[in-house]
Amino acid sequence: MASRVRPSPINTMNTHIIPVRFEYFAPKTLNEAVDLLSRFRGRAKVLAGGTDLVVQMKVGRVRPEYVVSIRWLRELDFIDTREDGLHIGALTKLRRIEKSDVIRRGFIALYEAAKAMGGVQVRCMGTVGGNLCNASPAADTAPPLMVYEARVKAVSTRGEREIPITKFFKGPGKSALEPDEILTEVMIPYQPANTGSAFLKVARTSMDLAKVNVAAAINVREGVVRWARIALGAVAPTPIRALKAEAYLAGKELGEDVIARAAEIAASETRPITDVRSTAWYRREVSKVLVKDALRIAYGRAVRG
Amino acid sequence: MGVTSRFRFIGKRVPRRDGVLKVTGAAKFAYDIEIPGMLYGRIFKSPYAHAIVDRIDKSEAERLGAVVITYEDVPKVLFNTRLVSVDEATYKDWEVLTKHPKYVGEPIAAVAARSEEVAQRALEALRVEFKEVFKPVLDPFEAMDPAAPKIHRKIVLANRWVDVVNNVGATLEYSEGDVDKAFRDADVVIERRFKTNRRYHLQLEPKVAVCKPEVGGSITVWTTTQSLHNTRILISQVFGIPMSKVNVVKTFLGGAFGSSIHTNLVTLIAVALCLKARRPVKIALTREDDILHDHVSYQMHFRIKAGARRDGRLVAGEFENVMDIGAHQIQAYPLLGTALGWFVSLYKWGSIRYVGKAVYTNKVPTCAFRGYGNPQVTWAVETVIDEVAEELNMDPLDFRLKNYRGLGDIFWGQGPTVKTVIKSDGVPELMRKGAELIGWYRRPKPWEQRGRFRRGIGLARGFHTSGAGGPISGEVIDYTGAILKVNEDGSIDYVTALQDHGGGTLDAHVKIIAEELGVPPEKINVVWSDTFTTVYDVCTHASRGVYVGGEGARRAAAKVKERILEYASRLLPKVVNPEALKMEYDEELDDVVIYVEGMPGEKVTLSEVARTAWQRNWGSISASVSYRATAAPPSFTVYFVEVEVDTETGIVRPVKVVAGADLGTVINPDLAAGQIHGGFAQGWSMAVLEDVVYDPESGEPLNKGLITDYKVPMAPDLPALDNFTVIFASTYEPTGPFGAKGIGEAAANPVAAAVANAIANALGIRFYELPITPEKVLEAIKERRG
Ligand SMILES: Cc1cc2nc3c(=O)[nH]c(=O)nc-3n(C[C@H](O)[C@H](O)[C@H](O)COP(=O)(O)OP(=O)(O)OC[C@H]3O[C@@H](n4cnc5c(N)ncnc54)[C@H](O)[C@@H]3O)c2cc1C
Repeated sequence: MASRVRPSPINTMNTHIIPVRFEYFAPKTLNEAVDLLSRFRGRAKVLAGGTDLVVQMKVGRVRPEYVVSIRWLRELDFIDTREDGLHIGALTKLRRIEKSDVIRRGFIALYEAAKAMGGVQVRCMGTVGGNLCNASPAADTAPPLMVYEARVKAVSTRGEREIPITKFFKGPGKSALEPDEILTEVMIPYQPANTGSAFLKVARTSMDLAKVNVAAAINVREGVVRWARIALGAVAPTPIRALKAEAYLAGKELGEDVIARAAEIAASETRPITDVRSTAWYRREVSKVLVKDALRIAYGRAVRG
Repeated sequence: MGVTSRFRFIGKRVPRRDGVLKVTGAAKFAYDIEIPGMLYGRIFKSPYAHAIVDRIDKSEAERLGAVVITYEDVPKVLFNTRLVSVDEATYKDWEVLTKHPKYVGEPIAAVAARSEEVAQRALEALRVEFKEVFKPVLDPFEAMDPAAPKIHRKIVLANRWVDVVNNVGATLEYSEGDVDKAFRDADVVIERRFKTNRRYHLQLEPKVAVCKPEVGGSITVWTTTQSLHNTRILISQVFGIPMSKVNVVKTFLGGAFGSSIHTNLVTLIAVALCLKARRPVKIALTREDDILHDHVSYQMHFRIKAGARRDGRLVAGEFENVMDIGAHQIQAYPLLGTALGWFVSLYKWGSIRYVGKAVYTNKVPTCAFRGYGNPQVTWAVETVIDEVAEELNMDPLDFRLKNYRGLGDIFWGQGPTVKTVIKSDGVPELMRKGAELIGWYRRPKPWEQRGRFRRGIGLARGFHTSGAGGPISGEVIDYTGAILKVNEDGSIDYVTALQDHGGGTLDAHVKIIAEELGVPPEKINVVWSDTFTTVYDVCTHASRGVYVGGEGARRAAAKVKERILEYASRLLPKVVNPEALKMEYDEELDDVVIYVEGMPGEKVTLSEVARTAWQRNWGSISASVSYRATAAPPSFTVYFVEVEVDTETGIVRPVKVVAGADLGTVINPDLAAGQIHGGFAQGWSMAVLEDVVYDPESGEPLNKGLITDYKVPMAPDLPALDNFTVIFASTYEPTGPFGAKGIGEAAANPVAAAVANAIANALGIRFYELPITPEKVLEAIKERRG
């Protein structure tokens, strides 16, 4: 009758305080910040809004020896329209994204995703960079950025590099960033004319991580889909693009049966799990529904402009 | 609401007395108590669901400067954390700290240090070695298997040991009439099995206790409790300190919903630490401690069988109730009787048979949660009632009206020992009005609906007792007390131990006193009191705060009034009988005028009377009352809920709610409506969302305790205010203060049932397991489509 279960870590959890001992740095420049990260390589964590990191530290899931706050790096807080596209600083708050006219008009799926995240308080603290670097499979800003084919910029003492968002997520909690790198900005190319996009999310309540989230973008010419992009979250170890469904849609007229078929294909590209939020079966079923709905909305927006 | 209009203060909309205090943060909760030299405590909790501790090395923790206590440092007595039942009905199986933890999170040791940080480090420095770790028993039916590991071997009832057989902590059987014959004679018989969810209370304020040693061996305690006096008695009993040396002080309470009818273990642990440290100690549970390891609702498994005749009369009811109570009893045994009471009092079943079992499992101990089993029973019964009506081809509304227990019938307030004859009943009125407002007779027929989104309207009715009083002293303790003083300037001090959980109960008392005396509420001071200075009140639970506590306050006011009139008559020499005097508030004078009707000259003000009584040495105008209600009448509620089901995602959305409530005279309309809105939110969540789930191997809650892992609905998930109508019945309860009954629990009880019936109306599918999640709905829809 003896059991060999592991002891629960409950006694190391105390959310009144941060029950982890760490040293705190608040650099004033990006150079200082990356210097610190290269010095503490692997033993430091970057702190942006803290809405993921602090929670994880309080429950003892993450135990960094050093915390490097980037909140004073104002140069990372911006939304700029440049020639090559829209540039969003990594430190830009979700609330600012939600309130940005440029984003609502030109990148509506990102607006819809930001609006669907947490509550107002969380959105006033949480940043887009934090949402991406936390690399949750359910991160709501990931699917829109994936269908817009965004790229992110990472900086370290070794220089800077660009990473396509589709190559950024490596697994639950794992991104392509090296431990000494800071994500500085997200670049989204302008979408061609006759493109429509949409973001949808199903969760337990209106303030929750997704059971499934989906973004779609479609470019339409004379009633025919030139290209479609579909991204899904919370249905695989990372947010994913449904490349087969996208390939199927290219060149087709978007009738109900085509939509249904695309949704079936997209769902077959998912690898969902069962956890406290939902079941694998449900996630796959609802992926189909959300893909269909997102395609219809995106198509409507593409043809109506 | 015609009846209320003859009142001067009752039924009027006024701002809450504590509103400004709470909004500005001036209100002091137990967590806000800071005492110089105070230590902060943390509890070492069992990381296993069922284990035996071998030894604890506390040397390193003590080196950090912490005071450490283990199961070796606490009194070796078994007790029950709840004292509401009489001793002969109280099963005792709790320890302050244990060597034999029976659920993940059961306290084994505790530390106190000069800061929460040091306390946490000391906690992590404790070396606790386990001798044995057992496989947890998590399912009540598996627990009853003779081969299952024994969670308890012996427990105490009153003061004798009883053996626990097959993990069954308590049983109750009951029958009336020839049930088998009644079923044979029935034309329609429906039998169903149900499983309810395990819900966390999510009261705003996690549990906190502060204990301070006083000179001379006394202690003072501030804590989150629904009962100051029972907390005091329990501390006295467990630690062997005379009650005159234990003072429990009232603080603001951030909700409870039943989670502190009993004294939370944190309080006893804080006392134990304080006694050892001889310093003030505060322990505040984190939200995670509170969710994971402190309290959840009773999870109940039912089998219900109902029989009816063609003419629409119920003739037989059978009820089997297996309760998964977790690792300890709080009020499991009394609930076996009360659950039967809820069942019996919903409908006139004819013959009945009942078997109830309270079964131990290696999970967090369960306790009352807004309705004390009533929402669970009502959900199951109201599902079966709908099905019987359908089978009989009767309108479910008519079927209910024909069979429910109403005016003149006998009502079991809290099980077989608390019975009352129903004297006020707003059910017919609420049914009629509600049906009209929701469009009951135009409700959809499930088989006629097409398309992705389907609408459904559900009806459920229910009730809750107002208190647990009655003419006969049964197994439940229920009486209250009030002290009222007219001060020397005519203002009033009201002293009560009764706790206001945040619902505005004491606001209602003030209005009741105001009504009785004619003194405006602003001149009545609610004294921030403690157990040293108040008389006994059992607990704020069972929706008794207004009905019992309010009547206690009214009686104190009536006594004081007698004295006021007697003193007034000394100042009005022409008056021969003080009873001829009337009291009324005069706005111009801003005083209460005591006068003889029709004789404008014969009057004196209350402040003159109060001042004169003082100046002329007549003595104080005061009263102390201890009051036991002679009844425990039902407050009825009727919910009509319209939902929309997305048949592709299984998501159910509330569209419209018409909530009818019969609480007798409505004392605070806004706060009463607030109870109903809150009751709906919790009931909705019970119906479609909440459940604590456990890892089958380790017995650890999978919700992890994080608020992100245990969800309740947010405002956007609930109906817009425009789509939520509250109607009050125009009833008057003759035994209540100015005709009032309770509302807190009745507001929640039938909600899950109404939601479930609405889903059934939309889809033509019934669900017998809560919560009815989108996952289950979608699965059922797909299954039916084949
Ligand atoms: C109540 C609540 C509700 C929530 N709801 C949602 C929701 O609906 N949807 C959703 O997707 N999320 C949700 N979240 C999660 C969280 O708010 C978001 O992921 C948010 O965007 C995180 O941003 P942050 O700035 O707070 O990140 P932080 O917590 O500061 O950081 C998160 C992680 O990213 C790293 N990091 C941050 N910035 C950088 C950078 N510039 N370079 C390198 N590494 C970096 C940190 O080291 C850390 O590991 C919720 C959180 C809470 C508490």
